[in-house]
Amino acid sequence: MIRSTWTIWKKEMRCYLVSPLAYVFLAAFLFLSGLFFYLGITLTGEASLRVLLANLAVTQLFVLPMLTMRHFAEERRQGTLELLFTAPVPLAAIVIGKWLSSVTLCVLMFVGTAVFPAILAYYGDPDWGVMATNYLGLLAVACGFCATGLFASSLTDDQVAAGLLGIVLLLPFWLVHQIEALVSDEWAESIRKFGVLVHLDSFQRGVLDSADVLYFVAFTFVFLFLTFRSLESRRWR
Amino acid sequence: MVEAIAVSKSFGPTVALADVSFSVGVGEIVGFLGPNGAGKTTTMRILTGFLPASGGEARIAGFDVFEHPMEVKRRVGYLPESPPLYPELTVGEYLHFVGELRGLSGRACTLRIGAVMEQTGLKGWEGRVLGSLSKGYRQRVGLAQALIHDPPVLILDEPTSGLDPTQMVGIRALIRDLATTHTVILSTHVLSEVEALCPRAVVIGRGRVLAQGTLAELKAKAKRGTWTLIEVQGIGAAALAEAEGVDQVEPIPQSLESDGWASYRVTSRGDVREALIRRVQEAKGRVRAVEARQPALEEAFVDIVGEEGVTQGRAATAGPVA
Repeated sequence: MIRSTWTIWKKEMRCYLVSPLAYVFLAAFLFLSGLFFYLGITLTGEASLRVLLANLAVTQLFVLPMLTMRHFAEERRQGTLELLFTAPVPLAAIVIGKWLSSVTLCVLMFVGTAVFPAILAYYGDPDWGVMATNYLGLLAVACGFCATGLFASSLTDDQVAAGLLGIVLLLPFWLVHQIEALVSDEWAESIRKFGVLVHLDSFQRGVLDSADVLYFVAFTFVFLFLTFRSLESRRWR
Repeated sequence: MVEAIAVSKSFGPTVALADVSFSVGVGEIVGFLGPNGAGKTTTMRILTGFLPASGGEARIAGFDVFEHPMEVKRRVGYLPESPPLYPELTVGEYLHFVGELRGLSGRACTLRIGAVMEQTGLKGWEGRVLGSLSKGYRQRVGLAQALIHDPPVLILDEPTSGLDPTQMVGIRALIRDLATTHTVILSTHVLSEVEALCPRAVVIGRGRVLAQGTLAELKAKAKRGTWTLIEVQGIGAAALAEAEGVDQVEPIPQSLESDGWASYRVTSRGDVREALIRRVQEAKGRVRAVEARQPALEEAFVDIVGEEGVTQGRAATAGPVA
């Protein structure tokens, strides 16, 4: 299982790194990061990445479904899904290997933003603890959103449809904290708990709350499980 | 080695396979023959574990495809209809990936890659990007991929479709070579391919096995049976038909030549060659060729599939009334 996951991960990373897609996203991501960093510093005057990282979390909502859209959609379109499914490899290894490759790419993107903490450290005195939890929050979002994107990709053989579907699936989790406008207060209170922003808040304040960590673990697990089931059921029909 | 017992498959209300049974012995090479959409690919996908059957049993090397999919997958090399390639990888990277996927690693993997590249004529192509390969070479990589774990059973779905004649000859030679050490099932709608490669064939149409057996047995199913070709001068069809044992004499179109020679197709019970020659001599005609002919596989195929098509058609028209 671990060996097959590793094999799949290596292949996915190779496919990412030889395709222009990854570099386009990397460049766009770093450009936006630079923009948010500049705005954050000039607007707040704080030596922190709070504004940058909060905005990057939103950016991921749109970027990650685009990064994961090809995973199963493209395999199905070019017929390679048949290769994977007729090899003696557990389905879970395929799903997890692909998911890990996308998460790895996200980590590479985050590493690219390391220049900003370096600048802050040179000119000011940032709070490293808060910065660490901010990055952890970013990683938690990446894990969850990659799983959602993967699920979207398992539903269709059209990459673009998979990408858009991923965004559509994620939007409610983002917008749900503004639910007050639609329903009564006590309902809003419980519904808001499903939102990503509510759980990201503690990370951004520099607190590691186990409930919030659990939320992202569950979020990731549920979508990976749905991906698994959707692939399994497609074979039955 | 490969056994299908009453396998059926439905996609929703559409019945793709109904009651398909056949078996392939160790070291045999069997052609899976049928028109497009007959259910060849579906059958192969069930045998390889890509699709589960709706009913019936399929076994490979004694393992049930549904109950022991991993054991089956380890023993089967599969070339789908279009070779499953990642266009962005090179030949070497791709074969390495498939090798690892198939449980090979390190030196063993490198050795097998070398061996299959040699076998499929890909030597020196390691660094080529798959997306840039011609159809023939893509097919070779597809075959190399199916061979990498040295499986006892090879399942090849239309291995020569879309190739030019030279490439076709190359791939066929390769398959013939492989058949000496592997059990091979190959599907095709090209009859000459079955004649060139397979001593035995299973004819499938509309999701059912219509006939199976050796090529001679299949040809015997052709309604037209054996016939005699005769080339004569100075005697007509009517006069020839008077020969003993002859059922019917048809002129072969486009065979009339300027000097009066003509060819006829003679159907009969038993061998009538001598009787025909005697008849020509009695009629003071001349004969320059008499030959007993086997029906071509094409004719057998058209007879087997065509008959089924007609019955199906009738059933369909009768359906709404009943």
